Amino acid sequence: MTKVEKGLITTRRGMLLGVGAAGSALAAGLGGAPAAETQGTQVTDAPVSDKTQERQPFYGKHQAGIVTPRPAAGMIASFHVLAQTPAEVERLFRTLSERIAFLMKGGTPPAFDDKLPPADSGLLGPVVPPDNLTMTVSLGSSFFDQRDWLVPHKPVRLSRMKASPNDALDADLCHGDLALQISSNTPDTNIHALRDILKNLPDLMVLRWKQEGSVPVLPPKPDGSHESARNFLGFRDGSANPDAGNAALMDRVVWVSEGSDEPAWSQGGTYQVVRIIRNFVERWDRTPLGEQERIIGRKKATGAPFGGGTTEHDLPDYAKDPEGQVTPLDAHIRMANHRNATSDANLILRRPFNYSNGVSKSGQLEQGLLFICYQADLERGFITVQRQLDGEPLEEYIKPIGGGFFFTPPGPLDETDFVGRTLLEATGHAVTRIKS
Amino acid sequence: MKLRITLASSLFALAAAAVPATAEVSPLDLVQPIADYKIYVSENSEKLVTDTKAFTDAVKAGDLDKAKSLFGSTRMSYEAIEPIAELFSDLDGSIDSRADDHEKAEKDPEFTGFHRIEYGLFAENSTKDLEPFADKLMADVTELNKRITELTLPPEKVVGGAAVLMEEVAATKISGEEDRYSHTDLWDFKANFDGSRKIFDLVRPLIEKDDNAFVAKVSGNFDAVDATLSKYKTADGYQLYDKLTDDDRAVLAAKVNTLAEDLSTLRGKLGLN
Repeated sequence: MTKVEKGLITTRRGMLLGVGAAGSALAAGLGGAPAAETQGTQVTDAPVSDKTQERQPFYGKHQAGIVTPRPAAGMIASFHVLAQTPAEVERLFRTLSERIAFLMKGGTPPAFDDKLPPADSGLLGPVVPPDNLTMTVSLGSSFFDQRDWLVPHKPVRLSRMKASPNDALDADLCHGDLALQISSNTPDTNIHALRDILKNLPDLMVLRWKQEGSVPVLPPKPDGSHESARNFLGFRDGSANPDAGNAALMDRVVWVSEGSDEPAWSQGGTYQVVRIIRNFVERWDRTPLGEQERIIGRKKATGAPFGGGTTEHDLPDYAKDPEGQVTPLDAHIRMANHRNATSDANLILRRPFNYSNGVSKSGQLEQGLLFICYQADLERGFITVQRQLDGEPLEEYIKPIGGGFFFTPPGPLDETDFVGRTLLEATGHAVTRIKS
Repeated sequence: MKLRITLASSLFALAAAAVPATAEVSPLDLVQPIADYKIYVSENSEKLVTDTKAFTDAVKAGDLDKAKSLFGSTRMSYEAIEPIAELFSDLDGSIDSRADDHEKAEKDPEFTGFHRIEYGLFAENSTKDLEPFADKLMADVTELNKRITELTLPPEKVVGGAAVLMEEVAATKISGEEDRYSHTDLWDFKANFDGSRKIFDLVRPLIEKDDNAFVAKVSGNFDAVDATLSKYKTADGYQLYDKLTDDDRAVLAAKVNTLAEDLSTLRGKLGLN
């Protein structure tokens, strides 16, 4: 997984990120103590983590938080955007980028006179740690539709999410002009980031809904191998995900590329799908193991497919099983991915979190999957996969209740750049690239 | 150094909301605005007594239509001075609490005041059994008026009240839950905004010369709120809350949040703790 050594952070994808001059001062300020210290004996002592200085880069061709390995805590926050004119939208995009750059890097917020409200909520302490934070900005269909000057520049496949047959969508949990995907090592870091955005952009954005989620953590394996995390149905989720470390594959599956019919400004961007999928976990837990496994199409303990596999990474061979004797034809993994010559075009990159909210009026747990996925082509990706899944036996146990479709613009290239700049330029709005 | 650049830019992003307190304001400068505000509060609390008399008389006379028509406007003088009225928490509870402040909600015997009568008039569509609540409300607003007359206004409560009013709207009113039976929330909004603006206008000369950008921004946001609310004006008040479009609700929410952020610096700007 992740090791912190001499100011260098090594992630499992082999990405090397120097903590840098500013960062090491920061690390020193935080004590920079080697990891292994354990928690004190006072019950209220803070739990100890050696991961608070993990840092992801904000600048790059693509936004962070998409092919970035999924950390333990995630959130989607959806906003109504009030910025209408190009100048207002520019201020929105620039301020968002400035705040995200600061929050992802970490540092000390400015100090004000103590007769004034403080600049920062302070919930992470006087020095904000990066804590592996990423914040990914995406735009909904309505963001374009409600601004005449943006209509001609809308991504070709960006639509308003329509209900699938099994959906029971709650209007208060759907859509939005702008979505922020916030993920980091701890829920507190995500909440801190959200509150910073709300405080800095009150006149341009109003929060509509949010959903937080988590991923169960696993101990590192002695052989260095990795396993997919489990969802609240107890199954591994993500075994067949395309390898986010394979740049050529990501160019094909995730990123809008040069040859596509999408607007040029959107190259390097991607379509984001968010679905809040409630799981009826009490009923699921009362379902025989064999039936659970037939519904999903994998062995629960190992994640291996049927037919002799031993790990989740073994591949089912549907060509040799046309009648579904081994893997039922209506198993979830088979309906989602046919694994034939054409199904490669429908690949999506999933990055979901498990959510748990409270108790329903009937006294059942309100929990499930905060499904998030990315793809270069919304229609060939999620929309096709969902259509294939319509009517699957798993529907007895799941109910999508919210979410939306968004487009994630390309990343800011450097400190003179900001998320959304290419869109503004495409509309003819002159943008000055200055180091802020 | 990169870090410094980031900090400078984050400072820039916050500058509109919170610059260090610079205005040099002496406590004496606040004497006149506070005295003027005291008059404003007294006028409103007297109007509250007069209006509540007419409202409760209609309730007691069993005149349902008249009582309904007076509900929204009667509350306005209370809502305008809410930061001061709330200083008397016993009266605020009995005059203006909502059903969900009480364990047994609408059925709770402790649930009294405007919203209990509103429940009878609008949800049960009747003045039946409302007489004791009408008498109690009348007695409470009379007592409130008396206490306000005797009150010395604490400057930090007055100046802080501008933001408090916006926090109230942001936290529990923008959703339309305040006047949930009558849907007269836009009357309340108008009174809350007017009450907040009154405070701001009274201290405005003290900040204007040092921080004109702040004054212009806050005034602009109050103007924008007025413009949005005026779209819903009718001959005798405001349209019902459910007529408010989602877009206008978002505009009001954004303005309220922005005013709450900006006005939260007002005490500090005037050197008050």
